Amino acid sequence: MTAPAPDTTRKYDLAFAKWVYKNVNGGDKLSMCMQCGMCSGSCPIGVQMDYGPRKLFMMIRAGMKEEVLSSNTLWNCTSCYRCVVRCPRSVPVTYILQDLAAKASELGYAPKKENKRFADSFWWSARLFGRTDERLVTAKYYFSFGLSEGIKRGLDNLKIAMGMIKAGRMHIGMPHTVKGRKGLQAALKKAAEIEARQSGV
Amino acid sequence: MTDRKPGVYLCKGCGIAESVSMDAMEKVATTENRIPVCKTHDCLCADEGVAMIKADVAAGEVNQVIIGACSPRVMTDRFDFDGAVTIRANLREQVVWSQPAGEEDTQMLANDHIRMACAQSIKTKPPLPKIEGEFSETILVVGGGVAGMSAAREATRAGHDVILVERTDQLGGWARKWSERTPHRPPYRGPVENDVASLVSAVEGDGRIKVMTNTRVTKTAGMPGRFAVTFNQGGTEVTETIGAIVVATGWRPYDATKLGHLGYGASPDVVTNVEMEAMLANGGLKRKSDGKAARTVAFVQCAGSRDPNHLPYCSSVCCQVSIKQALQVAKADPDASCYIVYEELRTPGTAEEYYRQAQEAGVIFVKGKVKSVGADLTVTYDDDLLGNDIPLSGLDMVVLATGMVPNSTDTSAEAIEPEKSALQLKDDIDPEAAIAIAGYAGEAPAAPERPERPIPEGGPILNLQYRQGPHIPMLADGFADSHYICFPYETRRTGIYTCGPVRRPMDMAETAEDAAGAVLKAIQALKNASGGVSMHPRVGDLSFPKFGLDICTKCRRCTVECPFGAIDEDEKDYPILNPARCRRCGTCMGACPVRTISFDNYSPQIVADMLSSVEIPDEFSGKPRILVFACENDAYPAVDMAGINRHQISPYVRIIPVRCLGSVTLLWVSTALEKGYDGVMLMGCKSGDDYQCHFVKGSAIAKERMSKVGDTLKSLMLEAERVRLEEISIADSSRVPEVLNAFSDEIVKIGFNPFKGF
Amino acid sequence: MAGVTSQTILVVGGGIAGVTAALEAAETGYDVVLLEKEPTLGGRVSRFNRYFPKLCHPTCGLEINYQRIKKNPRLQVMTMAEVAGISGERGNYTVTVKTTPRYVNAKCTACGDCAKATDMEVANSFNYGLDKVKAAHLPHEHAYPMRYVVAPEAVASGEGEKIKAACKYGAVDLDEKEATFDLNVGAIIWATGWRPYDPQKLTSYAYDLSPDIVTNVEMERLAAHDGPTHGKIVRPSNGEPAKKVALIQCAGSRDLNHLPYCSRICCLGSLKHAAYVREQYADATVDIYYIDIRAHDKLEAFYNRLRRDPQVNFVKSKPAHIIVGEDGRPVLCGERTIDREIYKEPYDLVVLATGMEPSVVGGFAPTVGAVVDDYGFVLPEIGDGEGIFSAGVAGGPFDVSMSAQSATAAALKAIQAVRADGA
Repeated sequence: MTAPAPDTTRKYDLAFAKWVYKNVNGGDKLSMCMQCGMCSGSCPIGVQMDYGPRKLFMMIRAGMKEEVLSSNTLWNCTSCYRCVVRCPRSVPVTYILQDLAAKASELGYAPKKENKRFADSFWWSARLFGRTDERLVTAKYYFSFGLSEGIKRGLDNLKIAMGMIKAGRMHIGMPHTVKGRKGLQAALKKAAEIEARQSGV
Repeated sequence: MTDRKPGVYLCKGCGIAESVSMDAMEKVATTENRIPVCKTHDCLCADEGVAMIKADVAAGEVNQVIIGACSPRVMTDRFDFDGAVTIRANLREQVVWSQPAGEEDTQMLANDHIRMACAQSIKTKPPLPKIEGEFSETILVVGGGVAGMSAAREATRAGHDVILVERTDQLGGWARKWSERTPHRPPYRGPVENDVASLVSAVEGDGRIKVMTNTRVTKTAGMPGRFAVTFNQGGTEVTETIGAIVVATGWRPYDATKLGHLGYGASPDVVTNVEMEAMLANGGLKRKSDGKAARTVAFVQCAGSRDPNHLPYCSSVCCQVSIKQALQVAKADPDASCYIVYEELRTPGTAEEYYRQAQEAGVIFVKGKVKSVGADLTVTYDDDLLGNDIPLSGLDMVVLATGMVPNSTDTSAEAIEPEKSALQLKDDIDPEAAIAIAGYAGEAPAAPERPERPIPEGGPILNLQYRQGPHIPMLADGFADSHYICFPYETRRTGIYTCGPVRRPMDMAETAEDAAGAVLKAIQALKNASGGVSMHPRVGDLSFPKFGLDICTKCRRCTVECPFGAIDEDEKDYPILNPARCRRCGTCMGACPVRTISFDNYSPQIVADMLSSVEIPDEFSGKPRILVFACENDAYPAVDMAGINRHQISPYVRIIPVRCLGSVTLLWVSTALEKGYDGVMLMGCKSGDDYQCHFVKGSAIAKERMSKVGDTLKSLMLEAERVRLEEISIADSSRVPEVLNAFSDEIVKIGFNPFKGF
Repeated sequence: MAGVTSQTILVVGGGIAGVTAALEAAETGYDVVLLEKEPTLGGRVSRFNRYFPKLCHPTCGLEINYQRIKKNPRLQVMTMAEVAGISGERGNYTVTVKTTPRYVNAKCTACGDCAKATDMEVANSFNYGLDKVKAAHLPHEHAYPMRYVVAPEAVASGEGEKIKAACKYGAVDLDEKEATFDLNVGAIIWATGWRPYDPQKLTSYAYDLSPDIVTNVEMERLAAHDGPTHGKIVRPSNGEPAKKVALIQCAGSRDLNHLPYCSRICCLGSLKHAAYVREQYADATVDIYYIDIRAHDKLEAFYNRLRRDPQVNFVKSKPAHIIVGEDGRPVLCGERTIDREIYKEPYDLVVLATGMEPSVVGGFAPTVGAVVDDYGFVLPEIGDGEGIFSAGVAGGPFDVSMSAQSATAAALKAIQAVRADGA
């Protein structure tokens, strides 16, 4: 919860903000933020973030590149879109965070973070089945830390898992898939190609 | 008026006849008061009732119509008769709606209302206006900036000649220096063209406007319709007759040399927003120090404003001005970076769109209080949103958004009688006084020590030849009156209206509008002057105070206490009235120790007759009598509304409406006690910092006078508690009965007035 | 320009702006017709308890204005009348006026017998429906004109006959119908004012879910001596004292999803509400949630006065949403932007400082000779031929003093427009 102190010897530098405005999806709207706090207050997992979106945006304006790109805020967004719907200045907060995460990843800021592991697991399931399977995502995520750590984490959460099964929140059996899984994978492949072309890689 | 011919008309409607005996009231009128005409009607305000009265007036039988029906606040237009004076007895709201029906006390109250109305008629004369001499329709506008030029144009477009006086050598004021202006019409986005030059040429091309540059007003005497104004134009003095005056002297930027902590003076690249305008108008932003392009600029908001050590108020326009300047910088150089450091960003109304426009353009808004600006242009401030002291460095320029100081005095002129002027300027309300509303007063934290504010320097704008001093009245924050929310053009110097930033910090668009408003009031003032009628709030009143100079002791109380400075002293120190300055409140009448000031329809004698006409039961009856003087605009309607809500009020109370508590003379109080009343209450508006008195000082003066009544009472061996002043607002319809009933109970406890029966 | 055929000035809207404009023009010697849609003059301000910053009562100034109207034969007031159409040009406008029935004619003496005759009650629109009122009623104690109204529901249900029978003066007329007629006027002052922004549109603020979430205009009625609680600030849910109160700024204003502009008065209004609460309860605390406190110009002094009160707290945060707690109290959720704490704070009473929406939105707006901006504010056209002017909030979000100022200016503009000798 406690934010690392900003570098007070740093000069205010608009270069980073201008980079975000230009390169990040939705970033051109970021300058419209008036720091009201609606987004951070609305965020269901705001307490899990190093900084709420509001503060993150102020930090972008203040040129705090390191702190912004290495914060977990970018990775913890669940894309519930509450902030986007409520933002009085129509700032597309979710898009900005998602794309900042992608940019941070590209720039090598996030690989060691847990969030990255989780995102990778999540993405793996989504790509494979067209939807997330709670058991497999969790298992892949836990075991990404290594075999013994995976078993330990699994046992720690066994009680929760049993509860979820009992409550019908987690199913047993084959993973559910979407109809037209092939088509989805083809679409995703195409999207990746387009993205690669656009970012000039 | 020839002989008075009173007629009493009693209404039986609205429950009056069911509650009290009409015969008894009729007897009071005809037998006791020997009024020859007395008629009743089932519904006096209906066409037939009104026709009945009209016929009597037309037949020449009646020229004083005494109506015993509803409150004088209603059916005013119905009971208005050509060729007759109307006097109202409030039998409905203040008798039958606030007393139990059929009771002896209710009847006594109704009878007393008729007695008072009959007594009121004895000395009441139809007021004749005082109209003498010639009147001018020319409007003088002082100040040649946006406010003054707009006022001049508005006045000629309404058909009036204008003299426009400007102390410098050209028109245009500060606005002439502005590169562009803030938007005030849709789409409310980018800065728009500064059209001051076209306004200047419109004024110069207007044949009805006489422009006098290099000119000062050196003296203003007279009254609306006939001000004698002396001008000094480059050493030559001329005097003109003027109908009404609009003061549009505008503002000046706060002295930036007092803002050393914000770096002013430490670096040539710390400039004020006014200096910035000149730099932008010259095209391309170059640093003063080295002539290099300024690409990173920080704007420091509230530089002087909202600071108890400098300007306590918000200068209102600075946020928008900085936005405008930042947008101009960004437009000229897309790679430039602008920071606006603010505490509260104030872009009210549609200016919010302007704020968004600046954000779209990439202007960075940073919230925090600036602590210092260094010679190296480093801005140190508390960043509220990031939670640290962050030095904003690497700047090319710092712009201080300095605030507006009203030109309510002429700083380039010499003070006249400095000590006396200082008194006039200091004697006013404190806008930051602790909130004093019922209940809160005791709980609210006290106001801090009022910082010693410098007395505005310089000489008066108009040099008014008034007993109240040469300056236009201003409030403690240095801005010119008005202190009224509903009546922004109300003035303590009738016929003289201020507009633009001398009245309140405002932008160019609002200033132009304000000028139109002030001109309208100026036109009204000169029209009313020539018609001999009063200005607001007693609009249309023809009566005016008359002075019985034969017994005048030249005590000067009337001239000093007049809230409007309407009364001068002649060379022998006798009062002389300027009727067109007068608002007919009667504060002079209340002030006069020898009761020689009176109106045709309102005088010490008339009210004394009224209160004396009430029947005072002896002490064995167990029925005390309490006399109430109620301000006719607030307390009296509150009593009416208590009746409308059918609240019960003590039947022992007799209420007389007064124009203002300021008109209440101590004679009435002493007469009442001599006549055997057991208590006297004055109900009037709030006085003090948030005064609500419509005549500015009336209720404050009454309070002052009443504070001295205690000694008089003591000398008569009477309890001080018998006389009380109560602040009653118009919204006190629920409280009024409580206050009156409690006072009544208290008087019963004190016991009856020992003078009763003498 | 066909020249001036009528010198009459029409003022549309009888709130503080319209009343001021009408009086100032009439007192300068011009004939004026003042139209008001509701049964009484006074508009929004007559529903306010006090004005900022003096904390004086609106009825005080209204009383003076009503007395001025009564004394001025040049000024004709029509209530329950609104404009349905405008054609023509400066000096010669034809205005179609639509009237709705009051079912009470000018013979009414306000004796009140009609109200006594019925037990039927209807929602009290003067109090924003917070309480009920008799189907035949005086709109409020300070009503001008002081004349009763019969609710259409009573006429429809047959209760009207009982009400009519009770009137001794033949003032109840159940046969009144909606009507239209034309007026020929030379200039028009548009002063139709505003309505509070609909709080139901602010879905995350749960206005519908708890009676203890009220709007700022409802707060005015709760604090007014002639309001539904006789001036006691209590929780509408259970009548208990409201001692912990939250005031939420920008409830709708400064929001691209709602009102994109700043309504200007809400900050000052909430400062006033804080004073109302503190006036009644020595142990009360008030939290004001805000983005920027916009105490413009000299009103800064009023802000400072409230800032000195340690029981009035300023929280820089736009609350994200309100939930109803288990004890029934509304709970504010959001982020305090200064210390970045996420809060969940329960209150006795939550007041939404809803903004001002121009009355013309969704209704009739003058399009001949005037410009209506994207928000619904009415502005005069630029040029010399203009004959339609706006006064007060019809032209932009203003406070009372600015409204009176703009109304006085509009009166002069209208006079210039109808002067026979032209500009």
